[in-house]
Amino acid sequence: MPLPPPLDPYLTELQARNLLPLTQAAAIAEADQARPFSLHYELRALLYLGITLLAGGLGALIYQNIDSIGHGVIIAVIAALMVACFGYAARYRAPFTWGMAPKTSVGADYLLLLGCLLFVVLEGYVQYQYGLFGSRYGLATAMPALVFLPLAYWFDHRGVLAMGLTALASWVGLTVAPLAVLTENEFWNDHIRAAATGLGVLLMAAGFYSEHSGRKAHFAFTYLLLGSNLALAALATSLLKATFHDEPALGLSYVVIMLTLCAGLFWYARRLQSYWFLVLAAGYAYFAACYLLVQLVSTLPNGLILGLSFFLFPLSALLVVLFFVNLKKIMHGPVKPPASFPKA
Amino acid sequence: MKLQAYPLDWPFTTALRARAARWQRQQLVSPAQLAAIEVAYPLAYYRPVWPLRVGLFIFTWIALGMMGGFSLLLTDGHSPIAAGLFFCGACFAMLELMIKERRFYHAGVDNALLYSGLASAVSLLYYIFSDHLWPFNGSYHLDLGGSFLVLLLILALLVAAVLRYADGIVTAAAFVAFLLIVALFGLNSPLGQALLPFLMMGAATSALLGYRQLTRRLAGTYLADYYARCLLMLKVLALAVLYLSGNYLVVRETNAELHHQFKSEQIPFAPLFYALTAGVPLLYITLGLRRADRSMLLLGMLALAFSLFTLRYYHSVLPPEIAAVAAGTLLTILAGSLLRSLRPARYGLTSLPDDEPRHFNLENLIQAQTAHAPSAPAGGGFEFGGGQSGGGGATGQF
Repeated sequence: MPLPPPLDPYLTELQARNLLPLTQAAAIAEADQARPFSLHYELRALLYLGITLLAGGLGALIYQNIDSIGHGVIIAVIAALMVACFGYAARYRAPFTWGMAPKTSVGADYLLLLGCLLFVVLEGYVQYQYGLFGSRYGLATAMPALVFLPLAYWFDHRGVLAMGLTALASWVGLTVAPLAVLTENEFWNDHIRAAATGLGVLLMAAGFYSEHSGRKAHFAFTYLLLGSNLALAALATSLLKATFHDEPALGLSYVVIMLTLCAGLFWYARRLQSYWFLVLAAGYAYFAACYLLVQLVSTLPNGLILGLSFFLFPLSALLVVLFFVNLKKIMHGPVKPPASFPKA
Repeated sequence: MKLQAYPLDWPFTTALRARAARWQRQQLVSPAQLAAIEVAYPLAYYRPVWPLRVGLFIFTWIALGMMGGFSLLLTDGHSPIAAGLFFCGACFAMLELMIKERRFYHAGVDNALLYSGLASAVSLLYYIFSDHLWPFNGSYHLDLGGSFLVLLLILALLVAAVLRYADGIVTAAAFVAFLLIVALFGLNSPLGQALLPFLMMGAATSALLGYRQLTRRLAGTYLADYYARCLLMLKVLALAVLYLSGNYLVVRETNAELHHQFKSEQIPFAPLFYALTAGVPLLYITLGLRRADRSMLLLGMLALAFSLFTLRYYHSVLPPEIAAVAAGTLLTILAGSLLRSLRPARYGLTSLPDDEPRHFNLENLIQAQTAHAPSAPAGGGFEFGGGQSGGGGATGQF
């Protein structure tokens, strides 16, 4: 005789409080018992891993046998693949709208991304092998941006937009991958820092414009995430440099710009109820505020510095904690119902 | 005083509401019923979404770090014990107060307070031992006589903290302390050194048996929800240690390390370890599939990958590019065909997404790690390395 299934404590509890009728509870217990185990994400991860391994292995094989295959054939194959990807994506494209286009096909989404990656590969290959752009590297880096940005709007694809903005930034001389900002770039170079700040502010302006005017408002997220990371990280390093070189006036102007940008992010975070931007804005604003605090404390007489720091610095961090804890009250309700994201 | 710091109905209510929400998505419960359930079981605690929890944790931690540093400075470094005691006491007092007054429940602030309090208590214990009780002042011992007692005390402290606060990371730390004690016990004698892998396997097995006892004992009570994350952590770590201590590569390289060999040599009982290296991952995967146990299945897959790495480490079976093509083809075909054939559920398995909200997305992780690879040709002559992020950061959830 089979054992009866173990009693679900939640079902018994709900029954005891008369929130579920007995028959329904029995039906739920049975459905839970018969529920299949989903391998969806595991299998998709394996599929992705398999395709990556296959592509990497084939790439290495082609590279080793390049003499017997010939460059022309490889370029032709890449180009054909790219055209096929773009063709498939174009076939399933939803008609253009300034709002968020409905998703017609998941495959088309991925193939569009793959087509864009193949475009970069193709361009790099042609440049490396035949020097198509000569030494005009600016033109070579601007090409992907010129192709991807219109594509992003035409296909309504935020991934392609991010790729286009990344290409734009590398044209300006930078990488905008959010996490790599501080590790990969030489941020101590003045020119690059100024360029990064300028581009970041421009991208943020584009983001605020799209959100405000409702033209591809859901792109604002990408614009603002990349732009704010770029501009604020550049400003933060500028601020550090101003501290080391003892230039308080310059430092103060950086602080003002940083706090303005953070205020803009805070506005967007409130509008979208987006906690990401809130934490980002709070982090950078805290950094700027700490600079002000250090400047303030260092003007005090020597005897007071240690005692006051003991209270002021932990207090500043505690204030941020209090800010987070009371966020619900501060953010209470969006200013307007969020225009861009269904769930953000 | 009750043993548990948080009210027992918080985790129970959370789990119950999650269940009810899932039943509603499966259309086993009507929206009106779900609303009634949510009214009857309100969430009485404070636990924000995870980006905020991370922010809260970081800023609390910064504040505590500065306070700790300044409290050391203020005592002028003369009495670190007093400063440590003060700091540790303050942390735990704040923690208890926060839970009671602000109803924090694993909300970042209480985690940071708990870790800081425990860290200061552990370093205080260690400091007292190294400064006053060990014969060689301040020197570090990895032998039984010196470290055993302090490790036992730390383990006791961590276990007490787990029992009271039910924190996953503290559970992991306690498990590591337990393993350290077992390892020290083994390393102390030549016989123990030889039997070290079996000692570790024994420790992991006893932890698993303890896990089974506990889950059975707690099943159906509020405590099962209260300690759910600790039990999960214990199971995952014990399974991982059980596999790793039988893995051929780990055993062989540790053996070489212990005997100061420049190049690792074949180990005794090698066939046994071959069998364990090959068999344990398959066992985990089978058990994971049969018991619908996702953590075991994922561990099995990771273990299988590490076993293949072990194999390739000692034998170059195929040239890497051929192996990649072969493995890639096999994986693609296997995963693709399973994705298709399991679409109506078979053998209790399905390839359709279930309707649990997902916290950890393996696919996204792999994509984020590998999506940079295709940009390599751009380095062909570009001045700035032409960085490409495959749309990194463009998928916003929060």
